[in-house]
Amino acid sequence: MKTDNCREWRESLGAYALGQLGDDERHRLDAHLEGCPECRAELEQLSALSHPMSLADPARFEATPTPPPSLAAQVAAAVGAERRRERRRRTGFGLAFGGAAAAVATVLVLLVLPGEEAPGPEEHVDFGSLPGKVKISAKLIPNSFGTEIHMYVKGVSSGTLCRVYLRSRSGETLSAGTFRYRWGDGSYPILSSALDLSKTDAMEVRVGRHAYFARVGGPEQDET
Amino acid sequence: MPAGALNRERDVREAYSAHAGELYGFAMRSLGDAGLAEEAVQETFLRAWRAGKRFDPEIGSLRTWLFAIIRNVVIDLGRARAARPGVAKEGIEASVEPIEESLLAWQVEEAMRRIGDQHRRILVETYYRGRPYAEVAADLGIPVGTVKSRVYYALRALRIALEEIGYED
Repeated sequence: MKTDNCREWRESLGAYALGQLGDDERHRLDAHLEGCPECRAELEQLSALSHPMSLADPARFEATPTPPPSLAAQVAAAVGAERRRERRRRTGFGLAFGGAAAAVATVLVLLVLPGEEAPGPEEHVDFGSLPGKVKISAKLIPNSFGTEIHMYVKGVSSGTLCRVYLRSRSGETLSAGTFRYRWGDGSYPILSSALDLSKTDAMEVRVGRHAYFARVGGPEQDET
Repeated sequence: MPAGALNRERDVREAYSAHAGELYGFAMRSLGDAGLAEEAVQETFLRAWRAGKRFDPEIGSLRTWLFAIIRNVVIDLGRARAARPGVAKEGIEASVEPIEESLLAWQVEEAMRRIGDQHRRILVETYYRGRPYAEVAADLGIPVGTVKSRVYYALRALRIALEEIGYED
């Protein structure tokens, strides 16, 4: 039952929830809680915090890390590249199915695109013959933010996690992201890496627990 | 097309200004590496853009949606890192940091930054440093009873701040 002195009891609920009350006080509060559903509900809400609080690190309460200012431009560039790609994909699809409207759209895009994108030499990377009918190839497109990577994977189980890395000539390896291979899905993953294509020496694709390597700009490949 | 969906690059820029800081903070907390955290934020906005039409503000906030995406991105990046040469082991799944716990920890830390200094301080002294109420009371020049009531109001404030950033029991 809610009483006039509920407020006083309530102000002890925080200490109770965090296990900071002495035995005497806790017993008295228990007696009050017995008859006061409001205070019990309040205690439940506060007690729920003790587990999350135990995970937190008080050293992190003051400073909050902030993203570097350049990240906004990187994200904008990646999304811009993705938008252009979607448009190309849509127009490619339209042509394949012969729609007149799509053909018109394609002409328009062909007129607009060359000025919008800085064309550079693309690299086609074929991982060659791999064990177990696995086939991997990729198209690498130079871009202002780094390299855009179109992945083609076949012959692995649906749902397999694939991870892609680019290695620079100086030996630095940068992740280009991850995707899951799905059967029967006509789409292909488009990833991006901050490494410039001109500085890229090799590409690594990890399919499940297998790692495959291919030289970028050469036919060599191997497996570990 | 639902209002508020991420259909234009401008929508992404606005979403970035509003939420990138928090997303980055969470990614840093979970991955412990600035480069990976940047990658996580970029991948989150790319995935959000690709799925932009599926975002429905009727169902939940943009913030909640972005956090659902980055949660998966962080899991993927954590696994990728666990599988890098040198640290690769059998049972990759088991070595992944428990994402729910790092999300909860980050939420509490973020909520602590949002509540008042007085509230934060009383919780740090009594809970995190485990100091007796009498000692804290003497330090702050307040009665012991006030320490107790401050703990209560600080927890209430923490709970509200947590709910604001998407915490659910």
